[in-house]
Amino acid sequence: MDSGTESASADAWDGEIETEIGHDEYDPYGTLTLIGIYFVIIALLWVFMYFVEFLGEGPTVM
Amino acid sequence: MNLFVDRYPEEAWIVRAALASSFLALFLGGIMGLIQGLHRTGFLQIVQDSTYYTVLTLHGVSMVLLFTIYFLVGFFQWAVTDSLDRSAEDIRFTKLWYFLMVAGTVMAAAAILGGFTDATNLEADVLYTFYAPLEAHPIFYIGLVTFVIGTWLAGVDWFRSWWAWKKEHPGERTPLRAFMVMTTMLMWYLATIGVAAAILFFILPWSLGLVDSVNSLLTRTLFWFFGHPVVYFWLMPAYMMWYVILPKLAGGRLFSDPLARIVFVLFLLLSVPTGIHHQYVDPGIAEGFKFVAMTNTMFLLLPSLLTAFTVVASMEHGARQRGGTGRLGWLRSLPWNKPAFTGMALAGLMFAAAGFSGMVNAGMNLNYVIHNTLWVPGHFHLTVGTAVALTFMASTYWFLPQITGNGVFSQRLGLVQVLLWFLGMVFMGNAMHRIGLAGEPRRTAEPFYDGVTFDTALGSISELHFQIALGSVILTVSLLLFMAHLFLSWFDVASNPAPDNGVIPEALSGPENAPIVLENLRLWTAIALVLILLTYALPLASIVSANGFFGSAGTLVGTAYEFAVSPFVGVVA
Repeated sequence: MDSGTESASADAWDGEIETEIGHDEYDPYGTLTLIGIYFVIIALLWVFMYFVEFLGEGPTVM
Repeated sequence: MNLFVDRYPEEAWIVRAALASSFLALFLGGIMGLIQGLHRTGFLQIVQDSTYYTVLTLHGVSMVLLFTIYFLVGFFQWAVTDSLDRSAEDIRFTKLWYFLMVAGTVMAAAAILGGFTDATNLEADVLYTFYAPLEAHPIFYIGLVTFVIGTWLAGVDWFRSWWAWKKEHPGERTPLRAFMVMTTMLMWYLATIGVAAAILFFILPWSLGLVDSVNSLLTRTLFWFFGHPVVYFWLMPAYMMWYVILPKLAGGRLFSDPLARIVFVLFLLLSVPTGIHHQYVDPGIAEGFKFVAMTNTMFLLLPSLLTAFTVVASMEHGARQRGGTGRLGWLRSLPWNKPAFTGMALAGLMFAAAGFSGMVNAGMNLNYVIHNTLWVPGHFHLTVGTAVALTFMASTYWFLPQITGNGVFSQRLGLVQVLLWFLGMVFMGNAMHRIGLAGEPRRTAEPFYDGVTFDTALGSISELHFQIALGSVILTVSLLLFMAHLFLSWFDVASNPAPDNGVIPEALSGPENAPIVLENLRLWTAIALVLILLTYALPLASIVSANGFFGSAGTLVGTAYEFAVSPFVGVVA
């Protein structure tokens, strides 16, 4: 959308919905995938912190 | 027209005034941020090292107290009026709290700005975490108290609307947005007890010279009683936007209304009894009390993880309604060309990264690695500096037409602005975290000392400093774009008509599925109070019994207290 010609709504509810999906038809497996990826990243970061904190054996800030 | 400004012109005026105040603070704080980013990395030092702390105070107070809270009161006014569909009970009262906040701001700002000149004795180089032993001119504290009283009255205003609504709608569930406002304000009332006590009983009398000394640990503890929950006060409006506006922008519906309510109740319960996790290295608080605060903090991850699920599921619902398919392919069907959507989605992504650094902060052992280092500002530049600030800016592209009646100047320019903010913070946030791991301290104009070197695990300190400076410049460009765009849209330079954004679609699982007990805010407040007592009563008693209310130096009041109470304590023991 260019400036000067904008009149459309900023949200996607106007004319962009192909199929309405109700409560019972909706299965958020894409969300499960994304959250799963996030948990894997968090777990790997925790492993990384283990190396930083305990196996580095350097003096900490304190 | 269905616009808020047409239906509630007087309330829209207050919302506009609050947002204007908010963005003015954002602009001022942002410029201070640029000065700091370039100063402490050594790229450009236009202020004295001693003035750095005035700049830092102005940056902190402008960003985390003024920008966020003014935006909150404006947005909450809209949320209450729009969701209950009723005018303010008395618009004069609404104006009263807004102008009280302004009066408080003027006093506090005068004190901070006085730090730039020797012409007055006004000074408040105490940073946004203004606990003792740093001391400011009394007008700074009086200003802060006035500002907070303004927010208290704002809460009273919204509760009056809610009570009046309930009388007219017996047995009905409170609309989601109003529910979120009420739970957030209850949390705020509990949280501000700490800062009010710290200022009114100790810091202000000390600053006025009425008492000789204060118990620093006591004022620190009371500050953090408020200082942690205040981050949820910034965050709750952003959460409300993610729950209420983001699904609509994505073309979907909120996945679950009851889950959203549970999240806000959990924040009411758990926000306050966590503040001691900011004091893991404070001597004078026993490890056991710190452990309790850590446990509460880890529980507090739950509502944020619930939010991650609900908000992403609501976005996915939008993507699938727009024809998205596949395990990850649906991400392509989201409206990435709309700045309001893209900004909020990227803000949420950054919040997920901040979740990790927050877990490190919250863990008692790992906290020692990063305590008082640049890691901590790195963390909150991802939370309040991106999750909150980018959500507020992005939502403005949707929200502004509702309250001004004018269309946004250019969606494309808005998109560039939100992307630049995200990019700038990727550089700055990443570098701050890594520099913190190398041990470089925060709140320091000149982080280098003779004989001290900072070893990084990856890359060099100079490369990381360059990333911070680069990030600050990109963020400033984004901020200037935002301000220019705001000005052009607000004053309708392009004469774009405001889009009729219609109503907010109903949740897939509606409020009727929520347990009725969620509506019982008295119960949740009572449980929150019990949790606060369990977490704070013993540590506070131990701090006071060790050094008195006014420090070990002893004052008339302190000695009188000890004189009157210590025999009693002796008998009980």
